[in-house]
Amino acid sequence: MDSLIYLLHGFGEVLTPMNLLIVVAGSLLGTLVGVLPGLGPTSAIAILLPIVAILDPVQAIIMMAGIYYGAMYGGSTTAILMNIPGESSSVPATLDGFPLAKKGRGGAALGIAAIGSFFAGIFGLVGLVLFAPFLADQALKFGPPEYFVLLLMALLILFNISSESFIKSTVMGALGFLISFVGIGLSSGVPRFDYGFPILAGGFEMISVIIGFFAIAEVLKGLEERRIRIKQVPIKRVFPTRKDLQVSRFPILRGSILGFFLGILPGFSATITSFLSYDIEKRFSKTPEKFGKGAIEGVAGPESANNATSSGGFIPLFALGIPSSPPMAVLLAALMIYGLTPGPVLFEENADFVWTVIASMFIGNVILLILNLPLVGLWAKLTDVPFGILAPIILMISIIGAYSVRNSLFDCMIAVVFGVLGYFFHKYNWPIIPFILCLVLGPKMEISFIQSLEMSSGSLFIFFERPLSFIVLVIASIIFAISSYLMKRTKKRVIEETGELQDLSS
Amino acid sequence: MKKFVTLLFTIFTFGLLFVACSNNQSQEKGDEFANYPERPIELVVPFAAGGGVDLAARAVADYLSIKWDTPVNVINKTGGGGIVGAQYALEAKPDGYTVLMNNNSSTTMYEAGTTNPILTIEDHLLTARVARSPLVYAVAVDAPWNDLHELTEWVRQHPEELTWASVGPAGFSSFGVAEWLTKAGIDYTQTTMVSSEGASDSTAKVAGGHVLLAVHNAGEVYSLVEAGKLKVLAVQSDTRSPLYPDVPTTEELGFNDLTVSWWTGISFPQGTPEEIVKKWEEALFEMQNDEEFQEQLEKIFLESAYLNSEEFNETVKNETERFTKLAEETGIRK
Repeated sequence: MDSLIYLLHGFGEVLTPMNLLIVVAGSLLGTLVGVLPGLGPTSAIAILLPIVAILDPVQAIIMMAGIYYGAMYGGSTTAILMNIPGESSSVPATLDGFPLAKKGRGGAALGIAAIGSFFAGIFGLVGLVLFAPFLADQALKFGPPEYFVLLLMALLILFNISSESFIKSTVMGALGFLISFVGIGLSSGVPRFDYGFPILAGGFEMISVIIGFFAIAEVLKGLEERRIRIKQVPIKRVFPTRKDLQVSRFPILRGSILGFFLGILPGFSATITSFLSYDIEKRFSKTPEKFGKGAIEGVAGPESANNATSSGGFIPLFALGIPSSPPMAVLLAALMIYGLTPGPVLFEENADFVWTVIASMFIGNVILLILNLPLVGLWAKLTDVPFGILAPIILMISIIGAYSVRNSLFDCMIAVVFGVLGYFFHKYNWPIIPFILCLVLGPKMEISFIQSLEMSSGSLFIFFERPLSFIVLVIASIIFAISSYLMKRTKKRVIEETGELQDLSS
Repeated sequence: MKKFVTLLFTIFTFGLLFVACSNNQSQEKGDEFANYPERPIELVVPFAAGGGVDLAARAVADYLSIKWDTPVNVINKTGGGGIVGAQYALEAKPDGYTVLMNNNSSTTMYEAGTTNPILTIEDHLLTARVARSPLVYAVAVDAPWNDLHELTEWVRQHPEELTWASVGPAGFSSFGVAEWLTKAGIDYTQTTMVSSEGASDSTAKVAGGHVLLAVHNAGEVYSLVEAGKLKVLAVQSDTRSPLYPDVPTTEELGFNDLTVSWWTGISFPQGTPEEIVKKWEEALFEMQNDEEFQEQLEKIFLESAYLNSEEFNETVKNETERFTKLAEETGIRK
């Protein structure tokens, strides 16, 4: 019941003119970046981080959250209208969305996608309100050994879905760890790996690395790619018919439930859940032969599922400080800039903050629904903006952003260096997601490990002896197995549908 | 060709930005201090936004911005336990436009706990203390001890069973625990420190029963005490804290000469014109009577505690000597 009172208070905070403006700006900016082909939610957050860095913490995170779900919305627009999925989780939306668009019903498909996403978003948020405080309370029982096991297993699961090769993921993860070690030692208080350079004693700012990998590398990739101007199908009617809504009702509900519950766990990315939802709908359908030729249910289910997955991901992020997907890892990094440590005490220490952010997400979802339907035409036009105009803008915000976190020129160089590295990693198929995850989670894992050993006077058995830590280990192994199986299946499906393997982690 | 143009434009943008970023310390002659401040002032906070020093700095900045009608911008330069930002501010041009706000963990405790400190008190032109907060001893709400005496006696019996959380071996908590145990005649080195990432990490560990004791400033444990997860055994001060009116002070309990407490204050780089330092000193003195500022401090659980430059200098020098002695005796300095 307390949650409800806090939430109402949160609504009060969001409904001030300035905060409302931030919510609108965040969701629109997110959609804008999400619409651009090739830029998914993770890049959207990374690119727009800088703009956010000038705001105060609550407004900044409200905006980031808006950017995140805005980008999720945006991705489906290009998928449906142009057959270009902004990220792999939008692939299922192309399967029936594009055929619908060709039939002149693209507007209806976008409308259903927006309605499905809205419903899933609200569904996920209600789940967040109900579960997160409870989980946070329970999470106090998690001591350092439990955290270490949890983080280790979560990383292994995420490694597994980040690339085609577990070994490559592990190598990249290890590199990320190494970078996270640079700076003042967490338990010793003494600088390490600084090679005598005072600037290195401050460590690598993870935001600069993220901006490099996701924003600058994206620009370099874009310079190289030849972008073909695709003729768009004109949109006629945006609002779905009554019949569309009727057939989409249950797919939306099923997609939301599936996406939400899998989204809480690490290892089930939006790509996995949206493909799963698509296949389930095909099986449930009385007319499975219509799938792939323009069945509106085929848009409704997966679009709801991928949005519900992203809402579900906020639960472990807020309650445990554990990101279940790459965009969540970037959000976690953003929270840390503001000295907010997600985890069991976030709800106690920063109750105002958490509930204001949650309330803002309710409002943001409504705003997206209201604004997106009429703006669909504008978003579609945006995909025509030449890369030559976008690239310098993205670069400019990136450099300013890297500078603004610590007001350090060194961080700008880091962003550029990692941008170039990110380009080569991409070119030679080395996944950057494990690198980023380990960079962000490295310090937390290291301190949990040190704390555990300090508690056990150096005995490694502490990780198996404590009942809770053992349970975490067992459950995580089961999730690992299921997630591996689903990942394999999703990979096969992506290849079936698009003819190539894509980055599946977002 | 088009690609080439894009590339050129890109390089140009990069170049422009680097120039723009690196040129922020522009030259300015300022012989006329009467008009100070003539341009925005950088108030450097060497800790993350949202922490005690940061919030206090923001209250100071708000007050001074209005008073002087010139923006005072809080800049967080984090890393290295506060040393990176402090070094940046203290090595800046001593023209009065770069000011540092920090606390004891990056000054007296750092100097006392480090064998070859990069920065010492000599590098600071200590201008005024702004706020303080007493140290408190907090344990889980279901812990068997009801006051600091009971805990002290228990530790005397079982020193090796006491675990306490601290940000590094030379952090605020380490000095607090070392002083308390040494004065009680207990060997501090027999107890176990568990490393922590900061107050919210260590209070969570104590609330969850993974670590026994958290030693922090009064504000840092307040939310978990309110939530019924922690209890405070004693407030280290001679007067009770308004946050915990029912909790006895260490003086009341008969623990004398326990001195560790948290403070935050303003420093300039050495060589800053005296007129400017005076101007700040006076402004900060007036600030403590400002209602809005007081309200801000209350919100962030700090107590206004102005000391002028001279008094501040003396307190800090004393503290450094005391802490250095303590650090050498107890092995905090290795």
